[in-house]
Amino acid sequence: MELLEYGFMQRALLAALMVGLVAPAVGVFLVQRRLSLLGDGLGHVALTGVGVGVLTSSAPVGTALVAAVLGAVLIELVRARGRTSGDVALAVLFYGGIAGGVVLLSLAPRGQATNLDAYLFGAITTTTAADVAVFAVISVVVLAVVWLLGRRLYAVSDDEEYARAVGLPVLPLNVVLAALVASTVVLSMRVVGLLLISALMILPSAVAQLVGRSFRSTLYLACGVGVVVSVAGTAGSYYTGTPSGGTIVLLAIALFLVVTAGVALRDATARRRHGRLAEVHAAHPHEHGEGCGHRPVPHGDHVDYDHDGHLHAPHHTVTGTHYDEHSGSAHPTAVVPPVGRERP
Amino acid sequence: MTDPAIRLAGATIGYGDVAIVRDADLSVRRGEAVAVLGSNGSGKTTLSRGLLGLATVLGGTVEVLGAPVGRLRERGRVGYVPQRHTVSGAMPATVREVVGVGRLPRLGLFGRPGARDRAAVAEAVHAVGLADRLDDPVAALSGGQQRRVLVARALAAEPELLVMDEPTAGVDAASQAALAGVLARVAAAGTTLLVVTHETGPLAGVLTRAVVVDSGRLTYDGPLAGVGAATGPDCHHPEEAARPPVRGYRLDQPRPAPDAVRLRDGSR
Repeated sequence: MELLEYGFMQRALLAALMVGLVAPAVGVFLVQRRLSLLGDGLGHVALTGVGVGVLTSSAPVGTALVAAVLGAVLIELVRARGRTSGDVALAVLFYGGIAGGVVLLSLAPRGQATNLDAYLFGAITTTTAADVAVFAVISVVVLAVVWLLGRRLYAVSDDEEYARAVGLPVLPLNVVLAALVASTVVLSMRVVGLLLISALMILPSAVAQLVGRSFRSTLYLACGVGVVVSVAGTAGSYYTGTPSGGTIVLLAIALFLVVTAGVALRDATARRRHGRLAEVHAAHPHEHGEGCGHRPVPHGDHVDYDHDGHLHAPHHTVTGTHYDEHSGSAHPTAVVPPVGRERP
Repeated sequence: MTDPAIRLAGATIGYGDVAIVRDADLSVRRGEAVAVLGSNGSGKTTLSRGLLGLATVLGGTVEVLGAPVGRLRERGRVGYVPQRHTVSGAMPATVREVVGVGRLPRLGLFGRPGARDRAAVAEAVHAVGLADRLDDPVAALSGGQQRRVLVARALAAEPELLVMDEPTAGVDAASQAALAGVLARVAAAGTTLLVVTHETGPLAGVLTRAVVVDSGRLTYDGPLAGVGAATGPDCHHPEEAARPPVRGYRLDQPRPAPDAVRLRDGSR
């Protein structure tokens, strides 16, 4: 692999791997809570932190982390007050963040690392070894907190009112989640840039949401999708010469569209097949049950009915239970009695 | 355990500084099954939310399981079924995961569920008749089934007091019957029930005592069977919610003061 021969690409791919894993692990809770754009807002706030870092010649990653976490806690406190002005307060914070960042960066002496584009859209190839070390620490901390508190974060994101009623520490958990988002924002800054950060938190979750059955599997799937698009996008950008952030996000959107189409196609096929089977038996709409005249065939968790040699299985739907042709693959054919056998 | 499950003394409950329920006195013994009746907007939901710390106690005393609400430790002792038709969340979740949330208050800050917790979850889901759907996504369930999932979530906590808000509203007859069976078993086990509802019909066999809230005042407190047929909330159709409540009260109860009526119509 040619791209692995360069130190800067090794560091870039490592950073991409960590971001791809961590951003969706936090993002699923934001999607669950319908606060998808919180990451976006904290990205704005982080820019002020970057400005402070550049002006004071300290590491922008550190100052951005401080600014983003402070902003996140402030947002949660404003939200908890429940005032109608909360929405406006958030807007002030977000735009104040980006405006402050732009102004502070413009004040920096010429020749400093003041490339605004690099922060807004990412500059993954400028990742230093020190950055990678900081990113690794942030990643481990974020994943550890999600592992420890994931169930509680899920509970609060899912139904805040219930969580409060049964005495879960709602405000502290919300502050923890906001702090996780802030940390992830700073982690993602180099890879996708402050303006595209939300995308890496939200898009993999959106893809996983389409196919996941449980919250846990959705979370794992989102992390998997995040790693794939993040690493593939970074590697791809090396060959195409395009910015890594934009490439990663476009890749994630493409995947989202493909999976959406795939799921829609699957559902349509299932509906059509089901419709055909329903037609066959429209002339015979009785519900099977004890003493219905058809021989019951117990099968695992349900009872099928022998209907002239083929099996009808219960199908639970929103409107109740009806009986369909048993899908052949789900049932060992040996159990199906041949046509014409004696029936009770 | 001699403390009443619920004690309200001159309690005023509301949101912000707006009082919705005024000067309420109520004492519910452990193990009682109480219906809180009233038309929409009467304040019955606010009354129940006051017990859960979701509405503000503006005056008087509100004690739950012997402790002032808000200072109650181990809130896991109180179960809550919110007034909602479906499980919310934007992300997929299985029945097991949603019901598992009910155990969290018992696990402390970092505790992870053990065998006892998993058993309680399975038991609660079995109790509401959804044992075969344990690992199905809740989104695949009907509205009535999702409501039962929320009941199971409350049961999984093994609460001493179970507060339910409109558990039968918009639920099909089969789910209503299933729910009545569950509540009968829960009540028989000694759990105190407080059920906020429009209609006592489906749960008449379970609930023994009724409290009627009208315009923020308690206007009746006695046997469920004693709620007057002509004036009781059963004759309120849900669509009447926006209109002022029907006048007319049991003769043994004082009529609400006119200012209480104004409070309801003029405060919002």
